[in-house]
Parts: sequence; C-alpha cells; structure tokens
Amino acid sequence: MTPPGTAARARAAAETAREAPALTPTLRGAGRAARFWVVAGLIALVVAVIAAYVAGAGASLQPALSAKSSTPAGSRALAEVLREQGVRVIVADTLTEAEDAAAASADPTLFSYDANGYLTAGQLRDLARLAPRTVIAAPDFLTLHTLAPGMGFGGVSSADPLEARCDLPAARRAGTLSSGGDTLRPGDAPGDVTRTGCFPGGDGTFSVVTQATDAGMLTFVAPAEVFQNGHITAEGNAALALGLLGASDTLIWYLPTLADVVDPGPPSIGELTPGWVTPALVLLALVALAAAVWRGRRFGPLVAENLPVTVKAGETMEGRGRLYARSSARLRAVDTLRVGSVSRLANRLGLPRTATVDEVAVQVAAVCARPLPDVRAILVDAVPAGDRDVVRLSDRLAELERDVKRRLEPGRGDASAGPPGAPNRPDTEE
Amino acid sequence: MALTGRFAALLGLGLVPVILFGGTTLGAAVALGLWVLLAVILGLVDLVLAASPRRLVLERLLPARVRLGESVASELFLTNSGSRRLRGIVRDAWQPSAGAGDNRSAVDIPAGERRGVTLQLTPSRRGERRVAEVTVRSFGPLRLWARQATLHAPGHIRVLPPFHARKHLPSRIARLKELDGRTSTLVRGQGTEFDSLREYVRGDDVRSIDWRATARHNGSADNPGQRVMVRTWRPERDRRVVVVVDSGRTSAARVDDEPRLDTAFEASLLLAALASRAGDHVDFLAYDRRVRGRVHGAQGAELLARMVDAMALIEPELIETDWTAVPAQVRALTSQRALVVLVTPVDAPGASAALLSVLPQLTARHTVLVASVTDPELSRAAGERSSLDEVYRAAAAERAMLDIARVSAAIRRQGAEVVTGSPADLPPALADRYIALKAAGRL
Repeated sequence: MTPPGTAARARAAAETAREAPALTPTLRGAGRAARFWVVAGLIALVVAVIAAYVAGAGASLQPALSAKSSTPAGSRALAEVLREQGVRVIVADTLTEAEDAAAASADPTLFSYDANGYLTAGQLRDLARLAPRTVIAAPDFLTLHTLAPGMGFGGVSSADPLEARCDLPAARRAGTLSSGGDTLRPGDAPGDVTRTGCFPGGDGTFSVVTQATDAGMLTFVAPAEVFQNGHITAEGNAALALGLLGASDTLIWYLPTLADVVDPGPPSIGELTPGWVTPALVLLALVALAAAVWRGRRFGPLVAENLPVTVKAGETMEGRGRLYARSSARLRAVDTLRVGSVSRLANRLGLPRTATVDEVAVQVAAVCARPLPDVRAILVDAVPAGDRDVVRLSDRLAELERDVKRRLEPGRGDASAGPPGAPNRPDTEE
Repeated sequence: MALTGRFAALLGLGLVPVILFGGTTLGAAVALGLWVLLAVILGLVDLVLAASPRRLVLERLLPARVRLGESVASELFLTNSGSRRLRGIVRDAWQPSAGAGDNRSAVDIPAGERRGVTLQLTPSRRGERRVAEVTVRSFGPLRLWARQATLHAPGHIRVLPPFHARKHLPSRIARLKELDGRTSTLVRGQGTEFDSLREYVRGDDVRSIDWRATARHNGSADNPGQRVMVRTWRPERDRRVVVVVDSGRTSAARVDDEPRLDTAFEASLLLAALASRAGDHVDFLAYDRRVRGRVHGAQGAELLARMVDAMALIEPELIETDWTAVPAQVRALTSQRALVVLVTPVDAPGASAALLSVLPQLTARHTVLVASVTDPELSRAAGERSSLDEVYRAAAAERAMLDIARVSAAIRRQGAEVVTGSPADLPPALADRYIALKAAGRL
C-alpha cells in the first residue's frame, strides 16, 4: 500500500519543482519551423512536374521517324496525314507483327527504318519479301549489301535544289527536295534488276533509288529528313513521302526494336545471379544507413569553449636566428656573440661595466697567458669570411670563456692551467 | 530520436528471410519489405513506450571553487516527473577543459524518483568552467529506438590558480622571522623599528647597548652594575605593497609551457602571502588597458582568497598595455609611500619604452621593483653552437639576452630594481628581494 503512496507523493513533489527547460525542439515545433521549406519543396516539385509535362518530356522516348512521335525527329505528321487520306497505318514493332499485318492485308506498303541496325541479313531478306512496295529510309550498309548488292553510299548531295529528273511518279510530283542530305550510288545491278535514281546529287549519286524486281518494288530514301516532322513541309518532301507511302490502302510502319534481336548471346550476370541478391544488397544498404545513424547521431550539441592563444616566448628568438641564417649575416651574428662574451668576461674579471673591449682583451690575454693579438682577433678583429669561420669563431669564443673561467677558479685553475698554458708563459712575463 | 546498434542488428537479421524466400527477386523483395516494415513497427512501438526525456527536474550540487590540479565531484540529480520508468544515458556537457573525462552515465530512474550522477572534474585550465546543457537519451523497453532531448541546466565552477609557489613560503617566513628581534649587529637601518629592551648576552654588538636604559634598570634594581640592557629591533610593519600584474599581450607568451601571466600570479601570490605575514598591506591590480582584477584592503587569509578569486578569471588580453595609466591606478590604491611591484615581461627596448617612460613617476614616490619572467630556453640556446644554424640561433639568443640586460639597466637607471627568473625561479626570487628590501628598511 505504501509504495504507491510514496511514489505518488514523490511525483507530486517532483511536479512542484520546475522541470528543466528543453532546448531540443519537439517534433511539432520542428515541423512548424520546417513548414516553409516543406511547402516550398512541394511547390517546386509540382512546378517541375508541370514543366516536364508541358515540354513533352515523355515524347523523347520514342525513336526517330516514329509514327507516334511529335518531336522534330518524329514522323507523326506524315502518319496523321496518311490516315486522313484513308490509308490504314499499322504500326509494327517487331518483324512478326509486320508479317502478320502484311498477311492480313491485300496490297500493303511497308515502311521501315532500322536506325540501330537490329535486323540481320536474313530478317532483311524476309522484310523485303513482305509487301509489293517497300520503302526503306536511310538504309545502312548491311541493308544495301543484302537487298541491293552493288549499291553504295554517295556522300552528301551537292545539288541545290534537288530536282527529281526521273520517271518515278512520286518523285515527279514532288519536283524538288530540301537540299543536302545523304545520297546513294546505284552501281551495277544484277541482270534481273532495274534501278532508277531520282534527285541526282552529281557524280552519279541519287537521293532516292528504286529497285524493281519480280518480288516487288524496293525504294531507298537516303535522307531520312524527308519523313521527319521538322522537315516535311520543306520543298517537295511531303509530296514524295505521301506518294511513296500512300501508294496503297494499307501502310505497315515498321521500326525494328530490341525484340527483333534474335540471339542475345550467353546469359548476362544479372540472369545468372539468384533473385535474393538485389534485395539483400538493398537490406545491407539499409543496415549501413541504420548503423550510420546509430554511430553518427550526436549526443547533444557541441560545447564551445574559448581557448587561450598559444605563443611560445622563444618564437622571436627562433625567428631572428633564422633571419640571420637566411641573410647570412655572419659578421652581425658573430658580433652579437662577441658582445655577450665580452660582457660576461668583464664580469668574471671584475672589470667595471664601463670597461672597453680593449681593456677586456688586455685582461683576458694576461689571465689566459695568450698573445694579445690572438685574443683581440677572437674578441674584435677577425671578420668571418665564410660559414666555416662563423662556427670556428664561435667555438673559439666559447673556448676562451671556458679558459678564463678555469684559470680564475681557485683550486682547479692551478692544476689545469699548467700544461696547456706552458708554451704561452713568456708572453705573460713580458 | 536516435537508433541503437540493436536496431541495426535487427535489420541485418533480415538477411535470413530474404535469402530463405529469395527463390525469385519478387519473393525476396516481399520478404525484405515485410522485414523492414516489422523492424520499423517494432522501433515505433519502442519509441512510443520510451519515457519522455523532457520530463526531468535537474538539480546540481557543485562546489564553488577548486584549485587547479585538484579534483572535485560534480553531482547532478535527475528527478523523473513523468509517468514511465526512464532508462537511458545522460551526458553532462561540461566544457572540455573542465576535465570531466567520460561524461556519459547510464541511469535507470523509476517514475517519480530521483537519481544522482556523479562526475569527477579535474580542470586543466584556470578560469571559470561552465556547463549549460544536459542531454538525455531515453531508450524504449526493447532498446531499439530512443528519444533524445537536450535540457538546460546551467552550472559553473571557478578554477583557481594552483599556487605551486606556496612550497617556498615556510622557508621565506622563517627568514622573515630571523629579521624579527635582531639586534642592530646585523641590521641597523632607518627603516627598522625599535622593538624592545633585553639583557645583554655575549655576542651582541656593544653599539646597541642602551646606556640610559641600563642606568634606569640598575637604578630600580638592587644589584647594580650587573645588568646591561641592549635595544632590539624588528622590521618595519604596516608598509604598503602594491602588486601590479601586466595582463597585456606580452603576458600571453608561454615560457616552459606556462603563460607568463600564470607565473606572474604565482609570484604575486607568494609575495602577498609573505608580505601579509610580515604585517604589510598588500593590494593587487591586474591591468592592461583597463582593470582586469583588483584586490584592495584585504588582510590575512582573506587576502589570498580574494586574490586567487580575482586571478581565476583573468586571461591575457591581446592588446598593448597602457602604462601611462598605471601611476594613476597605483595612486588610487594608496596615497602613502609603497613598494610597487610591476610584474611584466622585460623584453626588447622597443616593447619596454612605455614602461620606461612612466617609471620616473613611480620611483619618485615609491620603491619600485620590476619582476620579469625570462625564458630559460635563451641561455640554453646561447650555449648550443655545434652547427651553423645553432650558431645563428645562439647569436639570436645572445641578442635577446643583451636586450633584456639593456632594458634592465635602463630600469635600474630610473631608480627601480629588477628581478628576473625562469618560471620556477621567479616567485622565490621575488620573495627574497622583498625580504632583502625589508631587511634594508627600504619599504
């Protein structure tokens, strides 16, 4: 009975004391603070979606010369006009579909454009047999090699404007084509084949070449622009395209797709891996994310503290030393060392502060039993010629100081001054 | 909100169902989605069941002061005023140089109860160390997800200068006592004061015999001619000592990994302790362009306490010290003749020009003592001359020492005294100089 009572009392007591104010915003508070950005982000998203829709971003997924594409490279305009003229336009995505459509109609016209070269030679041959009239836009090498042996490429047409100059009715009606564009060179045809070139580009090249065989009529239109939305209104492009494709009631509009590719080769790595690998990778990524949050979540804000500057007192000394070294201020450096040594020597010898260098030198020479010019050279006169002299002079200064110290120190001075000082004795006696 | 390692491990366990049901990509994806959903739902449940880290009453129990180098316990009491048991971690966010070490502690507080968290603080720096926030992470019963909040719970502790130099105090006080009761055999100056009369013992200076007192004494007693009285002296008392510490930019430099300012504090503390024991009045002033710290009119134990308190918060300011205002500051502290101790770096002649220009104003009224920290690295560098670079370095060091000697000479010419020493030597050297001045009666 009592524990709940005490707990309640403690709780009551705790509630009377003030709870510590929290600095972390609550979820609601954080949401309120972020509201502007959430709304702004949503608006930006909506605007982006609308803009993408208006710009027709989805249409760009259609290939060039597609009957459904309204982009400049598409051919929807041509297909629509043909439909309006009563031509049944059947869009086929695979060769099988094209075959079915051809079988279903009595007198079809086939239009094909294989930009990516999906079709093999065999498929091309099948394709050429489907319909009595076949129009192939911008044929590639394999197409020419398979369907029109001997025909070659002629480069860009140099004629301006391109005039028909042939008996092909559609070409004659068109009259001219927009200038430029690829051409073909008919070459030597086999015996049972007759080739007619239209819109000559000079030097035996033509923009449009028809090849009449027993199986039917095959028309190659080298410039694909003739069929495109962007160029169809130029010159006689529209007349040529409508004349070629609208020759019968049914038009099979076949653009080969990946589905036509027969043999995909050996299975890819993606097909060989078991199904769980991708989900497992996703799971591991999630685990990594969770671990990152686990380790990376900060346990409260950082604590700021003003730290004092750290300046070593010796920095100026080091800097001055390096300046001496960089500018090779040999004499200045040596003189500084000398001033220090002279003042220490004067101190040690009991000379007054006002003693001149000469007085110090005389005293040192007397105490150390060395020739005066020698001592003067060390203390004043010698000018260092090179780096080696600097080190040597500094060593001799230090040695001189040690010598004076040794000689002036009672007890030790007598013992050590004897042997090294012996040769110099005469000088001191002078 | 925060996650735990347990949640990451739980997610990772999902590999088992993903692989078991992973015959096809679809089956594996479904298993993955279900597992992630399960983990997230468990986490959400955990989060909802966790106690609120906001419903806490925080109280602190902190000592007000601690000497640098000593440890002190910081106690934080958390009262759970919510309705659920709080299991979690508490971070008491002390500033780094408060030396709290690992400031996270696990707590388990039933609803309505109170628990304490104790941290051992070992501050690494002088000054005021603060704590403003306490962060609490409250785990749910499964310890998958946690709620986290930072609460405001301010506190502060003042870290006083360490006063390592107090180890020199007993010997200096002993020497001070030696001055006491000395006869004039050793010291007889105008500054020493008459203390008492006592009987002559062998070894006393005959010049200190007070013949009048001897006659008076023998006149009253009944064994004439037997006792000779001598005068004894004691050092002057109730003199004023003003310690001015320069807290300008030059005091920020570190000598032997200790800012010059800290050495200055050590020296002034030792001097203050000694002088107050000797019966003098000590005033303290830390000044650069304005007064950073000031202790006036304190005596005995209170003096040291107030001085360390004032020193604790003083940091070197990165500005040039305005010496022209110092005489006025000293005058504001005392109108009598005093011993003015200026603790400031004595450096290059250019940097000390301002100091030199105001010294005459001070020396005219007071005895002035300039105490300066020197870098022992200088004499070390001046002695190392084995390579060319070292010779140049030695020349630079020699040059710096010459500068110091020149400035010191200039200061002496202005009538002030100079004490220099490495960080370890300056406090006792300053104390010794004070005793010497006192013995000579120059205060």
